[in-house]
Amino acid sequence: MKRLSSGTIGLGLLTAFVFVILYGPIFVPIISSFFTVKYGQVDWGNANLDSYQLLISNDGILTAVQNTLVVGVSAVVLGLILGCFLAMFYQFSQSRGRGFVQFIIFLPFLMPPIITGLALLIFFREIDFERSLVTVIIGHTVFVLALIYRTILVRLQALGMNMVEASYDLGASGWQTFRLIILPNLKSAMTGAAILAFALSFDETMITILVTGTDNTLPIRLWAMMRLGFTPDINALVTVILGFTTILVLVAARHLIPKEFTSREA
Amino acid sequence: MTTRIAGLPRETNQIGQTPWLLTALAYGLPVFFILIPLVSFLAYSFFWVKGTEVHYDLTLLNYIRIVTDEIYLPVLWRTCVLCLEVAALTILFGYPVAYFLAGLQGRKKYVLLMLLLVPLLMSYVIKIYAIRSILGGNGFLNRFLMATGLIQEPLTIFVFNLNAVLLALTALLIPFAVLPIFLSLERLPRNLLEASADLGASELQTFARVVLPLSLPGVIAAASFVFVLAIGDFLTPQMVGGNSGFTFGRIIYSQFGTAYNWPFGSALSVLLCVLVVIAIVIGGRFGNARGRA
Repeated sequence: MKRLSSGTIGLGLLTAFVFVILYGPIFVPIISSFFTVKYGQVDWGNANLDSYQLLISNDGILTAVQNTLVVGVSAVVLGLILGCFLAMFYQFSQSRGRGFVQFIIFLPFLMPPIITGLALLIFFREIDFERSLVTVIIGHTVFVLALIYRTILVRLQALGMNMVEASYDLGASGWQTFRLIILPNLKSAMTGAAILAFALSFDETMITILVTGTDNTLPIRLWAMMRLGFTPDINALVTVILGFTTILVLVAARHLIPKEFTSREA
Repeated sequence: MTTRIAGLPRETNQIGQTPWLLTALAYGLPVFFILIPLVSFLAYSFFWVKGTEVHYDLTLLNYIRIVTDEIYLPVLWRTCVLCLEVAALTILFGYPVAYFLAGLQGRKKYVLLMLLLVPLLMSYVIKIYAIRSILGGNGFLNRFLMATGLIQEPLTIFVFNLNAVLLALTALLIPFAVLPIFLSLERLPRNLLEASADLGASELQTFARVVLPLSLPGVIAAASFVFVLAIGDFLTPQMVGGNSGFTFGRIIYSQFGTAYNWPFGSALSVLLCVLVVIAIVIGGRFGNARGRA
């Protein structure tokens, strides 16, 4: 047993303070969604769901949510296909330039989003590609690809070559080996990566604001509204999204973390 | 890399033969969608603009303008200082947290770490908005300070200026500082701490002479991480910085919006890229030094 020294208590208090800093800004909209806030004072006696009712009838916001979902799902699906393909290419191919390819994949994740966003903006203009949700999807795919690629590659490397070689020795074709051996083993890594990538895409603001056309995703819509001040239904929306994000993160954690836990505790 | 397959007879190594179409795709897609945009962006910084027309002949005018104009370099310098301050503040808060987490036992440790990272995935725009209202004249911070009697009148030093940007970025980026420091503390060999204690060092001495020096690579990595994220952020300063909180990122963004000078904006961004690469290299070099030791 470790006795609690005053140092440990001090550290604990400081940690608690940091958690307040981190979660404070998140609780403001949650509280405001249930209670009326006037002049910075919360009216605790009057809890209601009015803001949620307003939300259901706000078409502009709902369209933005829909756009965000379309972009997120498309980017994740594209990212998974590409990430899986590129990770397998890195792991199994003998090609000399695969390190270079990997470097390119990591670039949008290393560089600030403003660089990726501006590069794509200029690129789309030069190839005369109209900015729309499609360009947003491409931007998000490029952005989340590194994360998905890395997660899958780590799992592939942990998997080793034995099973793949065994599969080939038993006469399976490349496609059969992929479908029956590799893919099932990648499932949990892909699920975890997909959820994290979706969460990133859902909140991506800086690349999106540069490459989007007239269709807004939710963060861009919120950004535009923020200048005028938010209406109560925004708080309701944020609360719903936070709840949704928390569930997603917890699910992702279940897929990504258990292996770490067991290996660390063993 | 070659050792992995070295033990195999050549002919059973079917995996190594990738069809050329797949190879072409594996090179082509990243090159087309990532490398070419980045290269064309670099090329743009050597073009020039007249009215709304971009002229495609090479010139160094954009770079000369950055160096000679008296606006850009000072703003860049101020932004760098600001981001270093953000890095210092996040480490000041992040280090004790990482130390506390690393000292916890078992599952608790990872659950708390997870809780620390969750806010990163929460709506960024909403967080900035909430931080702005917390810092504002009528916000929580001022009311708290007035309630404690520390101040009589609401402070305005945290509204629409670089201080506000500093605090907002710090609040947003703390988790990015905690993580690398936590990882470097986790990798610290337990027996070193025990040896230090056996040799009669107090807890504080052990920390100052053993733990702190060995976790410095993590601190450097954290600093470079936070610096890169802070310097690339153009939305937070835009939102909480007001007119006086002008940062380099905002100048770049304005070149692609109201000012409409894409080549000049590209040149400014190239400068930003150089800074980012320097920060990453510094962070990476120290990180690797630890890996080899």
